[in-house]
Amino acid sequence: MTGLEAWLVVSLGLGVVVVRRRSVATGLVTAQALILAGLALDRAGTSGDVIVAAALGVRALALGGLFWLAVARSREQRPVRAHIAAPLRAGIAIVLILALTALVPPFGLTSPTAGHAVLALVAAGLTCVATRRATVFQILGIVGVENGLALAALMSPHASSLVIELGVTLDLTLIATVAALFHLRIFSEVGAGDSAALRGLRD
Amino acid sequence: MTSLQILAAATVAVPMMSALAAALVPAGWVTRAALTGTVATAVLALCLAGRAVADPGHPVIGSWIVIDAGSGLLLAVIAMTGLTSVLLSPGWLRGATGSVVAARHRHRAYYTVLLVFWAILLAVPLAGNLGVAWLLVEATTAVSALLVGFSGRRHALEAGWKYLILTSLGLGVALLGIVILAAGLPGGAGGLTWQHLAAFGSGKPAAVTAYLLLLTGLAAKIGWAPVHNWLPDAHSEAPPPASAMLSAALLPAVLLIAWRSERALAPVIGLHQAQRLLIMFGLASLAVAVPFLWRPMPFKRLLAYSSLEHMGVIALGVGFGTPLALAGVAVHIVGHAIAKALGFHTAAPLLAHEPRAASHPVTGIGRTAPALGTAMGISLGALSGLPPSPLFISEVLILAGGFSSGRSWAAAVAAILLALGFLGLAHAAIETVAGKAHKRSKHGPDGPGLAGLGPVTALAGVSAVLMLLLAAAAPWLTSTGFIAALQRGMP
Repeated sequence: MTGLEAWLVVSLGLGVVVVRRRSVATGLVTAQALILAGLALDRAGTSGDVIVAAALGVRALALGGLFWLAVARSREQRPVRAHIAAPLRAGIAIVLILALTALVPPFGLTSPTAGHAVLALVAAGLTCVATRRATVFQILGIVGVENGLALAALMSPHASSLVIELGVTLDLTLIATVAALFHLRIFSEVGAGDSAALRGLRD
Repeated sequence: MTSLQILAAATVAVPMMSALAAALVPAGWVTRAALTGTVATAVLALCLAGRAVADPGHPVIGSWIVIDAGSGLLLAVIAMTGLTSVLLSPGWLRGATGSVVAARHRHRAYYTVLLVFWAILLAVPLAGNLGVAWLLVEATTAVSALLVGFSGRRHALEAGWKYLILTSLGLGVALLGIVILAAGLPGGAGGLTWQHLAAFGSGKPAAVTAYLLLLTGLAAKIGWAPVHNWLPDAHSEAPPPASAMLSAALLPAVLLIAWRSERALAPVIGLHQAQRLLIMFGLASLAVAVPFLWRPMPFKRLLAYSSLEHMGVIALGVGFGTPLALAGVAVHIVGHAIAKALGFHTAAPLLAHEPRAASHPVTGIGRTAPALGTAMGISLGALSGLPPSPLFISEVLILAGGFSSGRSWAAAVAAILLALGFLGLAHAAIETVAGKAHKRSKHGPDGPGLAGLGPVTALAGVSAVLMLLLAAAAPWLTSTGFIAALQRGMP
């Protein structure tokens, strides 16, 4: 993996942490997933690798379409404001990226750059879930984490297991579909895709 | 394929086909299709569990399927919990109002999702591969989140959303651990079978990191503190039969994956270090749960915090790892499942009897509805560890195992926390059953208006007998080949 490719996917991940509009964030995550599918196709050596690359591409487009539909069916008068400002969110993400790259030892991917990119994508996804109130952003954060893990699987020195790769793709699609259903239901219940509006369960 | 492998495949396929049948048959046949499939599934799963438990010295270990002592134990628990949950669902559905789907599709949607959840859950202890186990656990999240939010109420949506996001995120972290393991294994992701994990070749620091990530991620799904936040909400907002499956079957099934991972990676990271993390999760869970057991809270929420406590106890037992402790773990998993499933199943008639029980603590149920109060008392008494509950014996075995393993400080702290937990839950049991009654039942004592009370009363009787038998068998269990097989893990 080249440095440029790594910077590109990580920048897209960080973009999801800071952008304001759900549709823009959906576009960023979809672009990130499509780049991963392209990388997978570029590295494909067997028919199994090609199937995995195709599955990643289909997943990227399917999830992009699903989230676009979810956003379109839950138009809000104004975007749900995160309780943490965008620069601070970016700062949190960068600190978490630096902490993870410092703490996690090299784990055997084909290049150290790929290892750092994986950890950066996971950190960006975690930050997105933790610091954004909008339901769509929270599920996009999870997709961002999974994109990082898909990158790790691609950059593994060993052949991937087709069953497991396709299983992960299917699972993520299932989770995203259920999350989109919840998002629409929450929107119809509280008038916004805002997880903070649901905080009623307390001890 | 051997006969056992065919049986294992059928155990997963039959509930899946029953779910399909429930989704497709005419509306009047949905419940019948679900119940028929459920009975068939339970028979298959119990046969398989019986074979695995009866011959623990000869496990079937393949790349995709494992049938060993641990599988047998969990299959029995999941089979019994699923059976009672489906059989008692008609009573809950009769009394329930509102759902996330249109009323005419409610039964169909409910049984379809419940049976798919059960099928995936039955496959978890049979997974012969860490990667496949992760896929199955992740799939349970998507399906069971639909059950948590099934009522469509605002609180149920909140609980379902929290459950979906937190556990998916946790499982993402676990997957990072698995990816690190796969990168260091000769066969890559294909080498993630339990037996081959010990061949990890990227060095101890990477192995420890992978183990930490894996266990922390799984902890979010098991409900171990401090990553348990979804648990009280999801267990209290799900339909009672689904709550029973979440608590009595799902949590220990995922815990088995953590247990198998600990056994498989111990040669690489060191047994002591592997066990230490489990003990820390166990103590943290106990310490977080105990204060909540002392607070008056809605009945299902109290049961949820009790799940946190009991998952902590099981983590301690697995972490201590001696035959005494593992005998305690086996008894605890079964005893907890029986008592907890009974507790959640009493919630349906309880809510019919006293609707405010959904959001308030209840007291004096034994005075206004004696049969219901007795069932709730059996559940809470057993969960508190009141002798002769099997959970009392299992906790003693686990603590004794802790002292005998040389982890005296951990066993001593656990003993104090368990004593405090006992006092809290026993007090809650007394108040719930024999405290001052809040109201007189509009249906009359145990009247016919209490949806599903008859089956729950019968379940209480059966549960009491099973728990007494389990308590009687527990001390004898320590010297059996079954416990030796649990301790040995994969040969």
